[in-house]
Amino acid sequence: MNDLLTIAPLLSVGLTAVAVLLSDAITPNRKYAPISVALAGLGITAWILLQQSGGVVTALNGAYVGGPFVAYLGLLGAAIVAITLLISPDHLFARGYPSAEFAATLLFALCGTILLAAAADLVTLFIALELMVIPGYLLAGFAKRDPLSTEGAVKYFLLGSFSSAILLFGIVLLWGATGTASLTEIAMSLTSLTTGVPPAVAVALALITTGSAFKIAAVPFHYWTPDAYQGSPTPITGYLSVGPKIGAFVLLIKLFLIALLPLADVWIPVMVILAAATMTLGNLVALTQGNVKRMLAYSSIAHTGYLMVGIVAAGAGEASGIAGILFYGAAYALMNLGAFAFLAVIQGRPGATVQLSDLAGLGRKHPQIALLAALFLLSLTGIPPTAGFFAKAYVILSAVQAGGLAAVLAIVAVLNAAIAAFYYLRVIVYLFMRDPAETDVQVATSPLLRAGLLIAAAGTILLGLLPGGLIEAVVQALAS
Amino acid sequence: MSDLTQFIGSLPILSVITLLPLVGALGIALIPSSRPSTIRVAALVISFVTFILSLLMLPGIREFSSEFAFSEQIPWIPNFGITYHLGVDGLSGALVVLTTLLSWICILASFGPIQSRVKEYFISFLILETGMLGVFLSLDLFLFYIFWEIVLVPMYLIIGIWGGADRIYATIKFVLYTLVGSLLMLVAILATAFSHQVATGSWDGAFDLLALRGTITDPTLQALAFAAFALAFAIKVPMFPFHTWLPDAHVQAPTAGSVILAGVLLKLGGYGFIRFAIPLFPQAAQDFAPLMIVLSVIAIIYGAIVAIVQTDLKKLIAYSSVSHMGFVTLGIFSFNQQGVDGAILQMLNHGLITSGLFLLVGIGYERTHDREIAKMGGWASRTPVYAALFGFFLFASVGLPGLSGFAGEFLVLLGAFLVNPMVAGAATLVMILAAVYLLWLYQRVFTGELSPFLKGLGAKLTDVTPIEIATLAPLAAMIVAFGILPALLTGAFAPSVAQFLMYAAGGVAP
Repeated sequence: MNDLLTIAPLLSVGLTAVAVLLSDAITPNRKYAPISVALAGLGITAWILLQQSGGVVTALNGAYVGGPFVAYLGLLGAAIVAITLLISPDHLFARGYPSAEFAATLLFALCGTILLAAAADLVTLFIALELMVIPGYLLAGFAKRDPLSTEGAVKYFLLGSFSSAILLFGIVLLWGATGTASLTEIAMSLTSLTTGVPPAVAVALALITTGSAFKIAAVPFHYWTPDAYQGSPTPITGYLSVGPKIGAFVLLIKLFLIALLPLADVWIPVMVILAAATMTLGNLVALTQGNVKRMLAYSSIAHTGYLMVGIVAAGAGEASGIAGILFYGAAYALMNLGAFAFLAVIQGRPGATVQLSDLAGLGRKHPQIALLAALFLLSLTGIPPTAGFFAKAYVILSAVQAGGLAAVLAIVAVLNAAIAAFYYLRVIVYLFMRDPAETDVQVATSPLLRAGLLIAAAGTILLGLLPGGLIEAVVQALAS
Repeated sequence: MSDLTQFIGSLPILSVITLLPLVGALGIALIPSSRPSTIRVAALVISFVTFILSLLMLPGIREFSSEFAFSEQIPWIPNFGITYHLGVDGLSGALVVLTTLLSWICILASFGPIQSRVKEYFISFLILETGMLGVFLSLDLFLFYIFWEIVLVPMYLIIGIWGGADRIYATIKFVLYTLVGSLLMLVAILATAFSHQVATGSWDGAFDLLALRGTITDPTLQALAFAAFALAFAIKVPMFPFHTWLPDAHVQAPTAGSVILAGVLLKLGGYGFIRFAIPLFPQAAQDFAPLMIVLSVIAIIYGAIVAIVQTDLKKLIAYSSVSHMGFVTLGIFSFNQQGVDGAILQMLNHGLITSGLFLLVGIGYERTHDREIAKMGGWASRTPVYAALFGFFLFASVGLPGLSGFAGEFLVLLGAFLVNPMVAGAATLVMILAAVYLLWLYQRVFTGELSPFLKGLGAKLTDVTPIEIATLAPLAAMIVAFGILPALLTGAFAPSVAQFLMYAAGGVAP
């Protein structure tokens, strides 16, 4: 019974998903009914998570460890799903896609995220990961009659399964070499190594690094990202670029910063090179994109690089690196969802994708929408006082604290931020400094979409002006 | 009067001054765009009230026995000891008044030229004013950095939306240059704060300028952090070889943008050296001083020589700015009373004089829609008042004794002479070059026979209007006043200079 109470957040999300599907079966013609049920269920889940944020509770023989860390990530995941649910319906309805399946799929993915945050052993961790990413494959292919969407989904699925297999192989080798599946016991076993790294562990480390790099879309394992992101329906791209990404970083925290922490000296140089390559290549390629969605896809690769700075800092012994990742995750979720919501707004017509030139003069025709877009872009650039600025400062501070290679990486990161400024600001140039384009971009503004945009915008400003509250929450989440 | 002083003292006056333009910008956002004249007047009133408040603040600065007057400090991000900490001394007080003065002048000068997207323009301008004031008043490094970056966005929009034909290239160049410098400064700020946290075991005061001065002893950190700060400030000043964004930005910016760029934004760099970079990292500053002095002298000479060959009026004045701002960094890195006094005077005078010149170029452009020097000639015969005003500001810029430009450059040269007579000699020669390019400019544009181009404009070539005189008169009056009595200013910031010299020598507060 106590176990059930402990895993209540998971049950609540799962039951909500079922209720969403049932509500659609009962009232098939009410398009907004499933969305409302899903939002209500998320509200209940959030309440349950808040109740559990006090102290650590374990369930299922120690496989599930709930507490403030799970509460933080669960609330963040619920917020991401809620905003996605607000910004998506109009885009999907306009194209005749069902809303109940959409909402339920998102909720199942949220189950995966929560379980990932709570997982204390390798098996649970892997199951949670798959539970989180498989709905993602479905979502990427949600526009099933659109060849681009299908192509993106197939690429995403094939490379995703491929990387899961690599990761699983690494996990199994690690289990075999250390004789335990528990993350903390693996760490203890690795700490007691006295005669260098055994070959099996070395191979496991290589495979786990490769598999994880695929999951977070680090260069050179990023090739699936632009196609999967460009092909998916825009609001879904917004979700895919934040939800599974933050989840994948939880996986990294569990694997590298708990289980493999004793080998930090071995993996830090690799991670530094991957991070530097990821942010630099992501930014440089984003510079050359004329399609806004594809540009944001590459920019999300660059943000992966910034988040990896936190992993490196934490690996070097600076716990605030994890805090930086958690803060960055929240800021990134808000601003990136906002940016994609903006694209969804102006992509009113089915079948069109937005080119930079389509945005010309939008600031004159639709000043409010353009202003919100500018806010998200400035935040992605890292200009204060926005969430993106403080997130970057937090991660960089942790790297500076860690010193050594991490500090070098911090400098690479800020120089990259300057490169990124070029293409983010170029969008603002088109929005405000060019004359209106010939092609008329339609602007869809329904109340739900508007609410989603405003929540993302308010969060982006609030986290920039008053980051203290969230910092406190992040520190609490890591206190246990 | 004493009632008023008390009232001012009872207010969080620095926050009021800093945030009033921002609040005003939000208010203007509510006025419909279809009423441009209401928007213009509202912006003028807001900026003028800010100016009056900053004047009322000035007398209070001396009444405080502490280094910084009207201090406000409230916790902002307690986990890292980041506070909202404002304070003012003679130096920042003078720059605050310069900012508030130029802001309302610029807003008034924009009444005519800015006809498209009036609302967005004045909102940007008022946000810009808040950013600049925040930079001068912040005593917390994190807060300072935030204001420093906030300045960037409205200036980016002002150049990019209301600028000339090549505005987008110019504005992106401006932002990228500034951003590269400032992002490295952010890393240095974080590293400095962290070193304080390690040394004291607590984040309290880790970002506070007053707590940090004189405590950073690690020579590597000093050198690296100073290099990062210096890069950010050198780009802003701009020092040779980081000046290339300036001519582009100046030429493309609308008149008011050029004025605020030359008048205030360049001063952010000089102020940053005096307030932050040198007091925080004095040892590294001493080590870097020879390099900085050499770069300053190169800027002084290079700016003057390049100015001579310019064919565009605005570009000529932009390069003369590079030369004049070289005196500022030269004076600062002389590390003596004369040099620093001179550098601060030069910042204020350059703010008054070059702003006036940019306003005048803008006034001319309104009539001719051209800035090509070769097309001008004999202008004085048609518009004597305009020509006289132009001549006045040019002479002030040359450094004519009796006008304010003289005292600053003279003191800087004196300070430089005490350090290295060769350097002072080289810089003095440039004052002759300045006379060459500025007076030659006057000769080519205003004297002689009326050029065919100007003749072709016919009746459109009118003299200055009362509004235009209203924008220039306060500047001219202050140029004369501070030219005759520079001690009015040097007296006001003497305590700041004394503090600066003490920290620059590696001293610790008593």
